[in-house]
This record gives sequence, C-alpha cells and structure tokens, in this order.
Amino acid sequence: MNIQFITSIIALVALIFSIVVFASRWQAMQRLPFGKDRSIPKDSAWKGIMYAFTLGMMPWAKESTRIHMLAYLRGIGFHIGIFAGLAALIASPWFENIPFAIRALFAVLTGSGALMGAAGGVMRVAEKNLRGISTRDDHAAVWLVSLWLGAMAFALIAPAFLPAMYVVSAAMLVYAPLGKIRHCIYFYFARLFYGLHIGRRGVASGLIEHSIPSGRRSHAPQFGGVGAASARLEQEAHNG
Amino acid sequence: MSTTITKPDQVLDLKGLLCPMPIVRLSIAVKKAGVGAVLEGIATDPGVMADVPAWARQSGNELVSIKQQGKEYHFLVKKTK
Amino acid sequence: MDNAVTTALAVLEKQLNRPLAAALEVCARCGICAESCHYYVADPKLDHVPAQRAEQLRQVYRRQHDFIGKFFPTWVNAEDLDENKLERLAEIAFSECTLCRRCTFNCPMGVDTPLMMRVIRAMATAAGKAPEILVMLADSAIEKGKDPDMFRAMFKEQIAQMEQELRELTGNPEATIPVEKEGARVLYVALAGAHTILPPAIIFNAVKEDWTLSLYEAANYGVFLGDTARAKAIAGRIIEEAKRLKVEEVVVAECGHACASLVWDAPNWFSETFPFKTRSIVELFAEYIEQGRLHLDPTANPEPITYHDSCNLARTSGIYREPRVILNAVAQNFVEMTPHGLENYCCGGGGGLVALPEYDEKRLRAGKPKADQIKKTGARTVAAACENCRLQLGDLNQYYELSVKVTALADLIVKAMRLPEKIAMSVAAE
Repeated sequence: MNIQFITSIIALVALIFSIVVFASRWQAMQRLPFGKDRSIPKDSAWKGIMYAFTLGMMPWAKESTRIHMLAYLRGIGFHIGIFAGLAALIASPWFENIPFAIRALFAVLTGSGALMGAAGGVMRVAEKNLRGISTRDDHAAVWLVSLWLGAMAFALIAPAFLPAMYVVSAAMLVYAPLGKIRHCIYFYFARLFYGLHIGRRGVASGLIEHSIPSGRRSHAPQFGGVGAASARLEQEAHNG
Repeated sequence: MSTTITKPDQVLDLKGLLCPMPIVRLSIAVKKAGVGAVLEGIATDPGVMADVPAWARQSGNELVSIKQQGKEYHFLVKKTK
Repeated sequence: MDNAVTTALAVLEKQLNRPLAAALEVCARCGICAESCHYYVADPKLDHVPAQRAEQLRQVYRRQHDFIGKFFPTWVNAEDLDENKLERLAEIAFSECTLCRRCTFNCPMGVDTPLMMRVIRAMATAAGKAPEILVMLADSAIEKGKDPDMFRAMFKEQIAQMEQELRELTGNPEATIPVEKEGARVLYVALAGAHTILPPAIIFNAVKEDWTLSLYEAANYGVFLGDTARAKAIAGRIIEEAKRLKVEEVVVAECGHACASLVWDAPNWFSETFPFKTRSIVELFAEYIEQGRLHLDPTANPEPITYHDSCNLARTSGIYREPRVILNAVAQNFVEMTPHGLENYCCGGGGGLVALPEYDEKRLRAGKPKADQIKKTGARTVAAACENCRLQLGDLNQYYELSVKVTALADLIVKAMRLPEKIAMSVAAE
C-alpha cells in the first residue's frame, strides 16, 4: 500500500465523518420548532427568498458591502476557491485522467482562494474590530481552510502533493462540522428566514429596486439611498 | 378617592408631555420620594386620566384625586410603600 | 446556579426555535456590520459592533449547546451565564440596541439581531432584570383592562369633549368620533392623548370613512420586554374588540412598534389568522390620496420637509412607499435624508429606549447620525410616522440644536386640507 492510497482513505473517512455530522446538524435544525406564520402577507414570500439568494448577495446590494467592497470580494474569492476545492477533492482519485488545462484552472481558483483566505487571516489579526470579535476558532478555521486550498492547488498541478493534500483535507473535514466552518449550512437557513421576512412584509420590492446598479436604473432611486450622496456618505464612513 | 384638600410635598409639571412620559416621570418621582409623600401632577395629555389610576393600582400607591381643569389634568398621589 | 440565571437559561431553551438557532450559529464574525449600526457610527468602538453584541448571547449558547463550547470553552469563547453576565446582556439588549434591523439587512448572512435581542429581553424580564419602567408601563396597561367599565366611561367622556372640538375645528356639526360602533369598516387604534385622535378624525370625516375608535391604545410595552404573555394581554383586548364589532380592518396609529407587533407578531402569539386585515394608518392615508378622496394643497406646507423612516415601519413592515405618496401630495418641498427608506438610520429611540430616563445620555449620543442626517437636508420640519421616533427626534432637536419642528404625517395632511387658518394652527399645536 502506498502513502497516497493510505492518506486518501483517511480523507475518505474524514469526509464521511463530516457528512454524517453535518447531516445530523441539519436534522437537529429541522427538529427545532418553526411554526406556520399566521400573519396576512403583504407580498410574495418567494420574491424575498429569491432576492435573498441572488440580487441580495451582490456586492452593491448592501451599504456594508459597498463600504467594504474589497473585503467582501476577498470573501467571495475565498468561497469560490472552497467550492472549487471541494469539487477537486471529489475528483482527486481521477486527477491523472483530467486534462491539465482543467486542473490548472482549478489550481488557479483554489490557489487564489488560499491567498484570499490567508489575507482574511491576516486581516483578522491586523484589524482592530476583527481582532476583537474573533475567537481562536475563527483564526484556526481561516488558516486551516487556506492551507487546505493551498495544498489542493499544488496537488492539482503536481501529484506528489496528493498525500499532503489528503492529510490536510482530512483535518479540515473533521474540523468543519465542529467549529466555525459549520456556518456554511446555517447560511441557507438564515438567508431563507431573511428572505421570508422581506418577502412576506413587502420589503423585497424596494430592495430589488435598490439593487439594480445605477447605470442600468431607469430612474433615480425613490426609496433607498444608493445615490451619489449615499456613496459619498459611505466613503466618509469608510475613511473613518 | 378622598375629597379633603391635601397639600402636596412636590409638584410635577408634566404639561406638554405625551404618553408615556407623564407616567414615566411620575413613577421616577414617586420612587425617589419617601413613604407618605404626596405628589401633585399637572398634565395636558388626556391619557393621564386613565393611565394614572392604572399606575396607582399596579404600583400599589394611593390616588388621592384626579380631575380635569379646562385643558389641564390635575392629580394627587400618595406614596404608600 | 442562582434562580435568576436558571430562569433566564430556561427562557433561552424555550425560545430556541429554527430562526433563533440560525441567528446564533451563522455569524462568521466578518465584522462588516459595524457601520450599519447607529451606535457604532456615533461612537466607533468594539462594543458597538452588532456582531460583538450578539456574541455575548452566543457565548452562553455555545456553553450550553456546542460540543467545543462544552469541553474546550476558551477555544470558542464560550461562557457560563452568571448574574453579572445576565445583567450585562440585559444592559446590551435594552440600552445598546434598538432592534432597528439595519445590521440584519447589511449582513451577508442576514443574521437576525433583533430576534436575539428580543430573546435576551425575554430572559432578563423573566429573571427580574428588565428596566423597571418598562415593566411598570406594561403592567399599568394591563391593569387598565382589568376594569373596563370604569375606563370605558372615562374614555367616552373624553371622546365626547374631543368630538365637540372636532366639530368646531371642521365646522361640520355632524362630524363624529364613533366608539364601539358595530359593523364599522375600520377600527382605528390610537395612542393615548388627543394628538393621535383628532387629526385622523378630521381625515376620516373628510373622506366619509365608516370608522370607529378603539377603546384601547395601540402602544404595547410587553413587546419591548420580549414578554409574549404581557404583549398578548395588551393586544388581546384590541383583537377581541375588532372581532366583537365585526370590523373589516384594524388600522393602527402612527406608531412603529404597535403596528409591527399587531400586524406581524400578534397572529403568531395567538396562533390565529384574524378575520380582519391589520395595517398602519399611513397605508390607509396613502390609499385615500391615490384614490383621490382627499383634496390636498401642498402649498400649505411650503417649507423644506424631510421624513424619518421608522425602522418598525420600513424595515420591519415594508411601509416605505406610502409615506412618500403622502409627503409628495402634502408638501411643496419634500427632501430625502441620505440614506433613507430601507437604509435609513434608526433615530436612537426605538425598542422602548425613549421611555427609559436612565439611558438618556446613551440614547441621545446614539442619535447623532440621525441629527447629522437631518442637518444635511436643510429641512425645517421632520415628519415621522412613529410616536417613539417623534419623542426622540424632539429630544435630538434640543440636544443638537437642530431648530426643526417634529410632526406626524396626519398633521401635515390636515394642514394641506386647508382648513381655516385658526383651525390648522390649533391642530398643529396639539
């Protein structure tokens, strides 16, 4: 038995552990009470849910992401890297059958994800508020995932890195459902509840109007603050 | 409610205040006063006609009197505990 | 563990439903919520970052529910709840967050901060750590309902006086303020005092609305306590009255929390879809204007007027279009704040804070972003469709020397109805 086979089995066991614990968390959420909303809706719940998972995630949709555009884009890049890394992990036993161009593309995605993750790790220490709100778990999670993405990028290019990638993957997969990384499944719940709120209560229509970038908007925003004056205020807030 | 004339130890000018501020001010003043103290409140918000008796019952203090005088509402309360 | 702590933890367990668990679990502590909070904008410190505030409850939750929190608490900053921690939680939820929902809208996850703050409030109330004044106001309101006959007689006498005033104001000897009118189309729930009864009465009479005034007031201090039992006791009387009178709709005064709680929360407190519609009077006024039922002259309000969106009306209840329909019809020079609508800053008085004198300084300092917004508009009048907001805006007006007049939308409508001059002045002075 070679080291690559042994480490891949360890990663597989970790993956199964991860899936089982995540599934049990999902089930635990489903067991918690969530009663039928008896209030009479002002608008469609679906409109809100659709917005919450699409337009509402755009970098220009929220004041916070407009102010922290770079940090938000860094986060997006990090998470794109994570999705690419998971796909690559599943495909890893068959890397040698995958054309180099595709592996290189995934190496770029995971590699840049690793760099953006590391940048996030540095920001967590360097930025005063972030340092204040971070737990040890937060620091560990961002560095562990960044390391995993880095290992994946190397493994995609050079098979010699496969055993190392599997070991890091195993550590990340075991830690994911226990520590902060588990927020990934709660994201769907939180966004769903937010979508229900803004949909049923007739808020989503205003937000949709809001989140169409000004260049494509047919008329000035009536019910929000995404105008030039708002951008100025945000710039002031950003400058501190 | 007593009809005898009671001299207040403290007068609270609650004129111009809107609900719930008259009751908030009254409640704070009564808390600071000693047991047995009588406070007079003068308000312009008609809501006090219902709110002050309810406050007195809820807090266990005595409402000595409450009456409307033109556009003003005068009340006397005695701290009992 | 002492009794208060045990009680508070029991409340947390009881209220732990799917939305609460999602809010507690999902925060990635990215920190980009900071500037969305008016406390942080006024005073940028760590304690004012919404994620840090919610983190205080999460620490307790993790100690109870999280594997790592139970066995390696320092790794995830998990903490046992003790009396000091409970008092700090209560201080945060009652005086350092107005439940304005601005951070929720700005969070990439949509973390429901108001939900967590309401749970802390419920924990503190059950454990006897809630501000005494809020408890007193809620209990006084409940007390009023215990002797309805006495209060009914007093209320009707006051309304009779107000009706007389209404007739003098409108010059219409048939103008009425009906009370307990069975089969009326609209049950209007006002606040205590004439200022939320007379202007709407003028408007209802002008459009010939089939309405009746509720015996009860809309304000619900049980909501601020996060105490569903008290909130139900207060709201239940209005719901019972609406059913008894068989009205088509219940219309709530210009009051943010009263509207949001009666429209969106009460049906779930009672596990019942009510046999009537419930909405804000702002929505009804906008409807009258859009139907052309009110004849309004915007030149009656020529000065620059700005509008402060109540968080409970805009972000919580979706009422951001309707106030602008009204303002564009009644004011010649309506200017928006920046930002406004769904992105508007809280005035700093929400969540019952305006009624808590012990937090006056905190509240007024947190209102600075709002004061700055108002100053930048150059407006001389600030309209708001919420009583708590108006009280806070009045205080900000003095504290920051804004020299503005604070008004309700109904007052502006009445002014634009061009009643004789002395009448308009009298209404505005209410």
